[in-house]
Amino acid sequence: MIDKYCLGCHSDKLKTAGLSLETLDATRVGDGAATWERVLRKVSRGEMPPPGLPRPEAPVATAFTTRLEQALDEAATAHPNPGRPAVHRLNRAEYSNAIRDLLALDIQPGSSLQVDDSGYGFDNIADVLSMSPALLERYLTTARSISALAVGDLHRKATEEQFLPLREPPSAFRRRSRRERVSPDLPFDSRGGLSFPYYFPLDAEYIIGIKFPSNVISFGERVAGFGEAYEFRLPVKAGLRMVGVTFLRESAKAEAESPGAGGGAAAPPGSESSEPPAEMDLRLDGARLKRFQVPQRAGVVPDVSSVTVGGPYKVTGRGDTPSRARIFVCRPAATRDEEPCARTILSSLTRRAFRRPVTPADLQPLLAFYHSGRREEDFDHGIEKALGAILMSPDFLFRVEQDPRGAAPGTAYRINDHELASRLSFFLWSSIPDDELLTLADHGKLRDPVVLRQQVRRLLDDRRSQALVSNFAGQWLYLRNLATVNPDPQAFAEFDESLRRAFQQETEMFFESVLREDRSVFELLDANYTFLNQRLAEHYGIPKIYGAQFRRVTLSDPNRGGLLGQGSILSVTSYPNRTSVVQRGRWILENLLGTPPPPPPPDVPELKPHGKDGRLLTMREQMEEHRINPTCSACHARMDPIGFALENYDAVGKWRTQDAGSPIDATGKLPDGSQFEGPAGLKKLLLSGYRDEFAGTITEKLLTYALGRGLEYYDKPAVRSIMRQAGRDNYRMSALITAVVESTPFQMRRTSEP
Amino acid sequence: MIITKKSVPRRTFLRGLGTTLALPLLDSMVPALAAATIAKPVVRLGFVYHPTGMIMNRWTPAAEGTGFEFTPTMKALEPFRERVVVLTGLAQINGRALGDGPGDHAREGATWLTGVHPKKTEGVGIRAGISADQIAAKELARNTQLASLELGLESPSLAGGCDSGYSCAYTNTVSWRGETTPLPVEFNPRTVFERLFGDGDNTDPAARLARLEERRSILDYVAGSIDRLESRLGPGDRNKLGEYLEAIRDVERRIQNAERQNATLQLPVIERPSSIPEAFEDHARLMMDLQVLAFRTDMTRVITFMLGRAGSNRSYRSIGVSDGHHSITHHQNDPVKIDNVAKIDAHLVQTFAYLLDRLQATPDGEGSLLDHSLIVYGSSLSDANLHTHHDLPILVAGGGAGQVQGGRHIKYPKETPLNNLFLNLLDKAGVPTEKFGDATGRLDYLSGV
Repeated sequence: MIDKYCLGCHSDKLKTAGLSLETLDATRVGDGAATWERVLRKVSRGEMPPPGLPRPEAPVATAFTTRLEQALDEAATAHPNPGRPAVHRLNRAEYSNAIRDLLALDIQPGSSLQVDDSGYGFDNIADVLSMSPALLERYLTTARSISALAVGDLHRKATEEQFLPLREPPSAFRRRSRRERVSPDLPFDSRGGLSFPYYFPLDAEYIIGIKFPSNVISFGERVAGFGEAYEFRLPVKAGLRMVGVTFLRESAKAEAESPGAGGGAAAPPGSESSEPPAEMDLRLDGARLKRFQVPQRAGVVPDVSSVTVGGPYKVTGRGDTPSRARIFVCRPAATRDEEPCARTILSSLTRRAFRRPVTPADLQPLLAFYHSGRREEDFDHGIEKALGAILMSPDFLFRVEQDPRGAAPGTAYRINDHELASRLSFFLWSSIPDDELLTLADHGKLRDPVVLRQQVRRLLDDRRSQALVSNFAGQWLYLRNLATVNPDPQAFAEFDESLRRAFQQETEMFFESVLREDRSVFELLDANYTFLNQRLAEHYGIPKIYGAQFRRVTLSDPNRGGLLGQGSILSVTSYPNRTSVVQRGRWILENLLGTPPPPPPPDVPELKPHGKDGRLLTMREQMEEHRINPTCSACHARMDPIGFALENYDAVGKWRTQDAGSPIDATGKLPDGSQFEGPAGLKKLLLSGYRDEFAGTITEKLLTYALGRGLEYYDKPAVRSIMRQAGRDNYRMSALITAVVESTPFQMRRTSEP
Repeated sequence: MIITKKSVPRRTFLRGLGTTLALPLLDSMVPALAAATIAKPVVRLGFVYHPTGMIMNRWTPAAEGTGFEFTPTMKALEPFRERVVVLTGLAQINGRALGDGPGDHAREGATWLTGVHPKKTEGVGIRAGISADQIAAKELARNTQLASLELGLESPSLAGGCDSGYSCAYTNTVSWRGETTPLPVEFNPRTVFERLFGDGDNTDPAARLARLEERRSILDYVAGSIDRLESRLGPGDRNKLGEYLEAIRDVERRIQNAERQNATLQLPVIERPSSIPEAFEDHARLMMDLQVLAFRTDMTRVITFMLGRAGSNRSYRSIGVSDGHHSITHHQNDPVKIDNVAKIDAHLVQTFAYLLDRLQATPDGEGSLLDHSLIVYGSSLSDANLHTHHDLPILVAGGGAGQVQGGRHIKYPKETPLNNLFLNLLDKAGVPTEKFGDATGRLDYLSGV
């Protein structure tokens, strides 16, 4: 086979594309695995031998690739190369989650750190997670404020923080969305306003101030005189609470309370309004704290421009927060109990923060911090100081795996149970292991295959596996880019923040349902259900869905189901003012089929708007003209047909049958001759003809994410073994994830080479 | 109560979210150092990156020498004619593919200040070279709290690859601390402000000192832990922790310098910027105000500032361009797209003019900050449609404390390394350097004819 079809070009003499197969020993493929994996890929995809040269009959080629694959897999089993993930700094998401799980403090502190660089499509790649002086200073500041919040700093200075409602583009200003309930934390019968989490640092008094737009636009006219604030001072217990401000719908008005009565607020100027006052609620943790009457102008939707929270004032104590309960596993009854209790507390914190058993050498410097804080103030303050140091330790900020003592360089070894516990929890939760995982690791039980499977199941069932949705799917599917999608308000007046959020929520809930209900990954491509609220259902043209809350909806339209019919995917692959068949085609090739086309060469010839007969060409005709050019056609022949199949969706995912007056032609034909029409046709084709490509792609993406490193040729046998294992269970999510966890590169590591 | 809403006279100095930043005690903030060096002004270095090339025939002046005309793209800089030198013919030829295939935007970012051909990788073995700003920063850091600032206006890409098999690190920054250590760019003005002046919950000098002391003990502890860990690690893994240790040394030095300055450095009553301004122009101005402040208070003498990431695809709706910047640079000779790119170019230059304006308006010793600064402005692509890495659009603004004669357009022989210019600038900043990337020597005529 090789002699007959390959050596004509890939000989020692010619070395076409820098490759010679002449001296490679086909009986010992393990020695040339990097090359053989390339041969395998090229031949199985039919890319080699190239068109125009003699090619083997299909059964001959298949027999060859099967044998080669088998030989490569056997060689890998005999001499596994699991690769070597680098020392890994926790990224922003991992840092936030680690703090949440270590200290029961869910305040997303990672968002104040610099955005991590990414590689291979993910931001958890150890090789690119670097450290700089600026980042170190952020860590210092953040660690200090976290330890102060978690323990409670009695000398905390009062500060004031301002919260703004989600901004809307001007075109959406008067839209109905502002009259909707803006958050599931607010009552059903509310409209407008905002709701946000706020961490009240101590048991104390706080001032909540509410401001109204100073210039309310009423049907295009500015109305002055609404700029004053209401202020309300109240005692609040320490902890994370939801603060909400919202208006009642007309029908829900009742038992009003005027702002002057007890709230200490002044009536705002401009009270001489012609409308009856609007009713506004200030809410804390879902309960009404206060009801105000706000004067309003005719025809103006009442709204809030900002809410400020100031404090703490008149501090009464550190409070009784989940964080303090988590930290203070003991309380010293007398002075002589203090040091032993501090040891207990710091041991328990350090074990979880460092994700391994604690040594005396770990504790000793931390106790010094404790003592200095204790001398300054009290026991709790001592713990706060030590906690601040723990959060800066390299053992916390970095995931470090150590080669076993005495292991020969460049050999494979099984990582220890604590390292495995971390790999598991960072893969499935983007966070530190919990007590159960650590305890199993302490007893050496995690490597037991039955226990490991149980743990994978348990971790997936836990809420924390939502991290796979936001971090894995969020990056794999480009969902995170939704935040910066910026449709042109001229072209898409209907796009607003509530639609943006709805797009995000739909795809997140959809991916999560496949995960939680343990469905097959193929359902991502086509499913007969999705998640909608009224806003999104109307956008999709689906009737009879009412209200702002999302629910599962069974779809009758064969086009809409699956990722390719979701507004999120369709808008992140569009330009601000129009769709892009190229970007959509590319997204599918890269993220679903694993065959990303190269970027276009510079100096692309211009698209010719007129045909030879002088007639104005449609975009499709222009692109077809463009594809006659052979340099362009190699890639565009694959990308464009796929993109055209989705042309029925506009740049914000709305169904259309016409574009700029011409009917949409959503038919397509791939280079291999397969034909299809429209989204439903494309999905059918993907699920029949490209099943293995999709399965292989999600496997590689998931393994990259799980390992935090790019895949190399020596990972291919593991990819194939994961696919075989998951394939036996029709690629159910749990089967795929379990197979990744059980794979060689996840369980093992290569020792460092000199 | 630290963050107040009271009205203060100088609050208009820093814009952004309306009036969120107030620095009433600005004059008293100038540390003793600046006063002592009036006799010999301190040179500040700035590197302002214009992403993704320019429409070159709207940038390059036709005439050479002192009589050159300010072209449409650079029109906004005309008021600073005497403080501007336009340089043409310079190149970063290591940005070319050189056998690595596509990825000109990654190479655009990675070469601008390094002149080194970057390694094509998504992750393993990221490598370019030390950048000009960081050569200066290493040396000038002895006098200031911060070695350098790396700032930008565009958030790194949140998902998906950045450019053709290159890690996003190559497009996200132009600043490299060492050949394997890209320095991420900060784009949140609040974070920059806090890095410069602390998180501001206590402005009392004694409290600040106590806090510095606390930081020092934490850094000691961390350094000790790293030592302990490193002894058990392989060489590759040690590098990563080495970065952490290096950063610690940097912050320790900052603490030392801060303690020295603490007696004289009176921190102002501060309102911090609360978030990132929505409009590009407001965001840019706020970041430039912070740069002026950092130079003025001698917190640092080296700043890089990226108006956009390399290969930026931002849409500039405020000037009527909805299409993404990068996508229309591949204009395929469509005159509308060319006009729109040129509009973006001119808008970015105009945005930059604000920095020169503020530097000129800020007294520094006997002159202004602009008189004493050297600010490079430009891109490391010229024609972005063709991805050319030569004939780059580059200018130097500022007088460099009498070392640069402005008001001129100088043409250099084709493919003169841009790194040669950086060697000149490093000389003038008092950091003479011999070997740097692909530099072949120094540029002639920069100081004057």
